[in-house]
Amino acid sequence: MFRKRRLGLQVTAPLMAVGFSVLVGSVIMLAIGANPLQAYAVLFGFSLGRIDSIASILFKATPLIFSGLAMVVSFRMGLFNIGVEGQYMVGAFAAALAGFGLKGLPAIIHIPIVMAAGMAGAMLWAALPIYLKIKRGVHEVISTIMMNYIAYSFLHWLLADVFLDRTQVLGQGGFGSPRVRTPELAASARMPTLHKLFAAVGIQLPHYIYVSYLLFIGIALAVVVHYIIWKTPFGYELRAVAQNGPAAAAAGINSERVMVKAFLLSAAIAGLAGLSDLMTFFGYYDIDFPRSYGFNGIAVALLGRNSAAGVIVGALLFGMLARGAEGVQVMTGVPAEVITILQSVMILSIVVAYEIITRYVRTQRKKEVGA
Amino acid sequence: MRIARWVALTLVLALVVGTVAGCAGLGAKKKPKVGIVFDVGGRGDKSFNDSAYAGLEKIMKEYGDKIETKFLEPSGGGENREQLLRQLAELKYDGVVAVGFLFTDAVTKVAKDFPNTKFALIDGFIDKLNDKSNILCQGFTEHEGSFLVGVAAAKATKSKKVGFVGGMKFALIEKFEYGFRAGVAAVDPNIKVFVDYIGTTGDAFKDPIKGKELAQKQIKDGADVIYHASGASGTGVFEAAAAAKVMAIGVDSDQYLSAPAAQQPYIMTSMLKRVDVATYDFLKTVIDDALAPKGTAPKYKGGYKTYGIKDNGVGYAESNANAIKDYKATMDDFKSKIAKGEIAVPLDKATFDAYIAKLPKKP
Repeated sequence: MFRKRRLGLQVTAPLMAVGFSVLVGSVIMLAIGANPLQAYAVLFGFSLGRIDSIASILFKATPLIFSGLAMVVSFRMGLFNIGVEGQYMVGAFAAALAGFGLKGLPAIIHIPIVMAAGMAGAMLWAALPIYLKIKRGVHEVISTIMMNYIAYSFLHWLLADVFLDRTQVLGQGGFGSPRVRTPELAASARMPTLHKLFAAVGIQLPHYIYVSYLLFIGIALAVVVHYIIWKTPFGYELRAVAQNGPAAAAAGINSERVMVKAFLLSAAIAGLAGLSDLMTFFGYYDIDFPRSYGFNGIAVALLGRNSAAGVIVGALLFGMLARGAEGVQVMTGVPAEVITILQSVMILSIVVAYEIITRYVRTQRKKEVGA
Repeated sequence: MRIARWVALTLVLALVVGTVAGCAGLGAKKKPKVGIVFDVGGRGDKSFNDSAYAGLEKIMKEYGDKIETKFLEPSGGGENREQLLRQLAELKYDGVVAVGFLFTDAVTKVAKDFPNTKFALIDGFIDKLNDKSNILCQGFTEHEGSFLVGVAAAKATKSKKVGFVGGMKFALIEKFEYGFRAGVAAVDPNIKVFVDYIGTTGDAFKDPIKGKELAQKQIKDGADVIYHASGASGTGVFEAAAAAKVMAIGVDSDQYLSAPAAQQPYIMTSMLKRVDVATYDFLKTVIDDALAPKGTAPKYKGGYKTYGIKDNGVGYAESNANAIKDYKATMDDFKSKIAKGEIAVPLDKATFDAYIAKLPKKP
């Protein structure tokens, strides 16, 4: 009886949170003299009513699935890996090196190498923070934030001075300026898009859509992460250390080893977050490489209540809002900032709603036990 | 069979004619639509994007409600730039300005899909365009403008030492450096030019502290005029110059106007890069073509357009009239020489070395 009501609550809570944030958004839009009804009609109609929008949402969600999963692993370990941001950028750069540096490989070998390079680069960037954590007790939040800054500057330097693509064509008399980017990835390093797959089921995706097999890799990885956390001895150790370190140690678990493994696993997953843009959209790493997948991954993991399945839902919601924002900006007079506010309020209220429910459930359960 | 084919062909023809006629009918009533997609940061950066917006504003004033306008901001890297351009094109915008060379790939892709929308790409270069292309790459001869402020610096210096503070060291900013050095050398090759760059990353354009430190170092070494090409880092250069009571030269827009009153006397001039002119010109031709009766020869031309001294695409600011009144004649003299092609201003190390070698030696 109660179980059913709890399930109902868990579904209605996020819906109510969305409703609340829509309300807040309306107030802001009315204040700046825009029409909220029109804006929401566009936001939802544009992002859910067109096939190219759906595909674009899937594309935008792909990197967030990886960064969200990376956060889930670290949160489950009781660590806060804010460094996912820097890790995925270093990973993407390493992947780019493997992508344009190696030539003449068949795609079936080249693509896995590029992905492995992405994971390795990110793990390398995570190695120092976890070393400092274990050996020197440096809090991982501080060290990973610092590593993020180092990553930005280090990558800029590598781009501008070391690996700049010097073969770019310029106009007569120095017209235009060379782009600050790496050479282009070999064709064999490009991840195929889903056009053929969709065509097989009768849906023709427009050519300007970039959603790729990384989406399925992300979903498969979600299953793997779920399995690791809940069904393996390592997952058991991980949860034990996170919940009660001394007790786990007393039970003979080497908590330091578990922490190192979990942190590096989190980083390895993070290393895949930038690959969707690198291997399908850009085909090179440049000064304009998208940022914030790491930070958005934190929000996605929170939205997904730290579960692998929840991350996929959260990533899709983020993708939908981002796509909707493009439509709202173009088709209505509402600036993109309002959508960003809406996004943030939505996340905040969903998290708060969950917290309220958890407490409510707890008190109910106590009452039931008492009765 | 054969008859069926003829019937089909006739039907298709009728459809095409009908559609074209229908579109023409609509076209006559439809307002021209133009838009701008800014670079990250958008309006309010007091330089690049704001300058492009000023061009759009002028268009809005001139055409009023005869046209529809829109300006958008991308959310960051990745797919977003391309999607915003694509949305505007899908809504049948006649002209779209993409502000900054980061749009190069996005414009290339979207322009291919929407032949009826014209795109202007500021500062970028796309290979193999011609008059008929629906892309216009707009470039600036930043080195020519920098040459003129170099002349001003050389005229103004008493210590015979001047400075250049660049933002990120790459080809685009080196154009500013070599143009400036050539301008200084044109007045007096014996003047010493200190050259410093803030960094090798994009962050170099928003690091006023480092800008200030480098300017202070140059001042300590004796420089009494400093030209910066370092975006928002330049505020640090202005601070250092005003504190030491030496002259500074701004960049891109007239920075005298946006500086605090206490610093204004020390900002003698600015090298102007008229992104607003480029934006205005492009949008105007596109709008005029759309408003013109059918059959009029189009004014729009695709391909490449360089904004130089000749067409007021680059120049120098005169709002601090007092500070440059003694040098203005010399500057304008060089200006007309460059416009006539009598001076080829160098834009990189190789052309600069050649330029210096040809200068008459002064004792």
